Amino acid sequence: MILLPDGALERLQAGCKTIGDRCNALGINSWEVVATQSYGHQIDIEGGKISLAAGGGEGGFGIRILDDGKFGFAYLVDVNSADTAIKSALSIARMSPSVPGFVLPSAQSAQQVSDLYDSSVVDMSSEDLLIQADDIISEVASLDKRAVVTGGGIGVSANASAIFSSEGVDAAGVTTSHGVGVQVSIDEGGQLTSSWQSKSSRSKITQANECVARAVQWANLTRDPIKVETSGNDSVVMMTSEGFSPLFSVVVPNAIRGEKLVREESFWSGHMGNNVIASDLSLVDNARVPGGRSSGARDDEGVPTRKNSLIEQGRLVGSLWSTRDAAQQIAEGRIDIATSTGSAIRSGHQSPPVSGCSNLFLTSSQKGHSYEEMLEMIEDGYIVNSVMGAHTANPTSGDFSVTTSSILRVEGGEVIGAVKQAGLSGNLANALKDGVTLGDEVRPQGSYSSGSMYLPNVLLRNGLRVNPV
Amino acid sequence: MVIAKSPDSDTVGFTHRYLDVDKLNKSLDKVTKDGAAYAEVRLVAYTDYSATIRDGKLERAIPGQEIGATIRVLADGAWGVHSTTDIASLEQQMNPTLKLAQSVAARRSSKDRPISLAEVPIIEDSLHWKPKKDVRNTELSERLELLNLLSDSASGHDNVVSVTCGWHDEHIHTEFLSSEGMNRTWSFQRSLINGMVTARDGGDVVSYRTRFGGEGGLELIESCDINQLGVDAKTSALRLLKAQRAPSGKMPLIADRDLTGVYIHEALGHPCEADLVAAGDSCLDGKLGHKIGSDIVTVIDDPTIRGGYGAHPIDDEGLDTTEKCLIKNGILTEYLNHRETAAHFDLKPNAGARAQDGLHHPLVRMSNTLIHGGTHADLDELVEDLDYGVYACGSRGGQVDTGRGSFQFAAQEAWLIENGEITKPLKDVSVSGLTLQILKNVDGLTRESKLAAPGFCGKGQTVPVGDGGPIMRISEALVG
Repeated sequence: MILLPDGALERLQAGCKTIGDRCNALGINSWEVVATQSYGHQIDIEGGKISLAAGGGEGGFGIRILDDGKFGFAYLVDVNSADTAIKSALSIARMSPSVPGFVLPSAQSAQQVSDLYDSSVVDMSSEDLLIQADDIISEVASLDKRAVVTGGGIGVSANASAIFSSEGVDAAGVTTSHGVGVQVSIDEGGQLTSSWQSKSSRSKITQANECVARAVQWANLTRDPIKVETSGNDSVVMMTSEGFSPLFSVVVPNAIRGEKLVREESFWSGHMGNNVIASDLSLVDNARVPGGRSSGARDDEGVPTRKNSLIEQGRLVGSLWSTRDAAQQIAEGRIDIATSTGSAIRSGHQSPPVSGCSNLFLTSSQKGHSYEEMLEMIEDGYIVNSVMGAHTANPTSGDFSVTTSSILRVEGGEVIGAVKQAGLSGNLANALKDGVTLGDEVRPQGSYSSGSMYLPNVLLRNGLRVNPV
Repeated sequence: MVIAKSPDSDTVGFTHRYLDVDKLNKSLDKVTKDGAAYAEVRLVAYTDYSATIRDGKLERAIPGQEIGATIRVLADGAWGVHSTTDIASLEQQMNPTLKLAQSVAARRSSKDRPISLAEVPIIEDSLHWKPKKDVRNTELSERLELLNLLSDSASGHDNVVSVTCGWHDEHIHTEFLSSEGMNRTWSFQRSLINGMVTARDGGDVVSYRTRFGGEGGLELIESCDINQLGVDAKTSALRLLKAQRAPSGKMPLIADRDLTGVYIHEALGHPCEADLVAAGDSCLDGKLGHKIGSDIVTVIDDPTIRGGYGAHPIDDEGLDTTEKCLIKNGILTEYLNHRETAAHFDLKPNAGARAQDGLHHPLVRMSNTLIHGGTHADLDELVEDLDYGVYACGSRGGQVDTGRGSFQFAAQEAWLIENGEITKPLKDVSVSGLTLQILKNVDGLTRESKLAAPGFCGKGQTVPVGDGGPIMRISEALVG
């Protein structure tokens, strides 16, 4: 099966123009049409074997119209029903409050971001993916004959998107992605341990060995748990990039949205210009990273993207804005000046844009440390590689209380054994305030909210409570 | 490409068909002759509407329409799947999907057990759960009136900095054709209203979420005491501002209906999904007929409970839905199955197949899951025996590692129990444990069992679910 049909992008653009023409014909002066269409191949693995092969495509159009600062939105799959959708959006706009100063973004040139498309991904067939899936299953067995891939799979996709507006924005492009995820389990002697690891790239993944090896390694490391004689103490915890990113992605992207900050819905509200995290740490959102998982030349309302510095040396210096959020918060008197930071995001064509992050980097001005060096820094503590329930963290307060079955006990700088299960709780904003050491290898991870998290291993010395079973 | 016949004003109703049945039946016949053991086409057309108001002002309203279809072909003991919004292309995609299945089959070793399907009755019909008030006929102004009622009742305190209220309704229309002669059409609606109150006191900021909804049309939302829903959410948010951090360690726990529902969903429901059991990723593998819970624990999963957020008349393999009894008096009696796992375990299929939408293939999923009631009269009777413990209420969600059998769920708010009485408010309470241990620790249930707030379940695909039960006491749980 062909991944990306010939002329796919051109047809998407033609659909946008047809809908734009219908907006003009219906007397609407200010409109924006976005379109997405994704095509993919996917192989699922279950119980140590390939369970199915799937393919297909999906997409649609979203229409945002603006009438005297009032906006309406509708989405559709069939260009022929554009008039119905446009009229729905218009009727919504008429019932919406006016936001003085809110206009759709004007046309601006945007420099392309490299390495977001790889023709070798598009050229991959289902047969190629089947070979890769077989290789993963074999690789796991070769690393540990007890280990089985109980879940996961491999997939490729080509994602075409277009935006076309009455203000002259006219852009389109295709990106690619290739992803691998494996759940490896070792079930022996009445003891089952497992580990999930994944990897995703804009370009073709030729070697999934590292990801597979890490899954097998953690399924092994967490076997034969020891008994730990402590109860609910504050502890030093090294969280791997994989373990830290779910919590970080629930809490931090929400806290640095401009409208959350000015509405006092962020734990960093009222602290602009103040130190909010350790003085060696910085936070940057950068949609212009070549090959970045959430990179793009333009944001989801067509504004050119840029690198946004949010926290510099511990000090809160910036926030993320979309055009409407900025105009609305000015109109409602919560802030005097705010403009788009090229940070509009959508969940596909089905939603109007909101503010959100792209590729979020946590960095330190201090030298990064290897896993082994960070381990040596722990006199009495734990290493956590994954958590359950990160999505239950409170993004408003930063409080969390999660569980982990992928946790190692450390004493005197050495791992002395696995812990069967433990509760891990605290407040992430407080934990980042001081005593934080970062690792030397940044690994991109997914997100529970928006964007992608570019995080190294993180050693947290304050504010985390570990409660082993 | 994006080419799809849309739901429009001509199709509002229940009888419209999107699939060309004659043409697709011929394609299904042909693909069977070409080597498929089984093939199906399932189309889902959604008409939905969501709206959000913030502090009483309309933030966004989104009317939408989606249509998608999935072909599944079983050949030589392996699946091929194709999903598309391009309904006109379905016939052309039938044979490539067969080849996909054959490619998978060709790579399987001789020791791999080929996939087969349990036999089911072949039905040709239309079944529509018509609501009293078709939600598609609701004006935005009506939706906003109800949202404003929720917003107003949740506002009005100096410490409340923001109230966001949301609405979502959907009409779900499904058509199903199979090479076995199944030809079914069904539809139903879901409606939901929710709110989030954010409160602040100096540097302390908290939020509380509330939700009401289920299967049904506008009449469902109109049946809700929205004013009370908002007042309760505001009261809880303000209480959280003064709440203390929860103690941690092993202790008795009492869970309200919401948490009881999440507990049974995570701790038992997921490990009961037979696709996970078959994949070697469930702690309940080999436990059918075994005692895994205390005598008072009886658990059902029932998609036929009208009004429940997980209710649906027909599963996504075309089977009439039915009640499943997962645990009877502590004994594991049934897995949730679709046709493939029913054949795998040589069990009777019980219509447990659900897909997120027309673009996803069906997995084994829960619907409305709840524990039956027990013998305790009320909360007071459960509390009075306890010297120390936690009473936890409202769900922030949960998660399970089905293979290890470990789970976690988080409460929105909680109270300390001291000397048989509910005392101080607590925040950030989560509960974790091991399925095979904690089910045996259930030692008290109130009499009345009913569904709690609607929820969503993720398993690669997201589906709406209902959970609930009575108020439940666990003699020992790990509270974090």
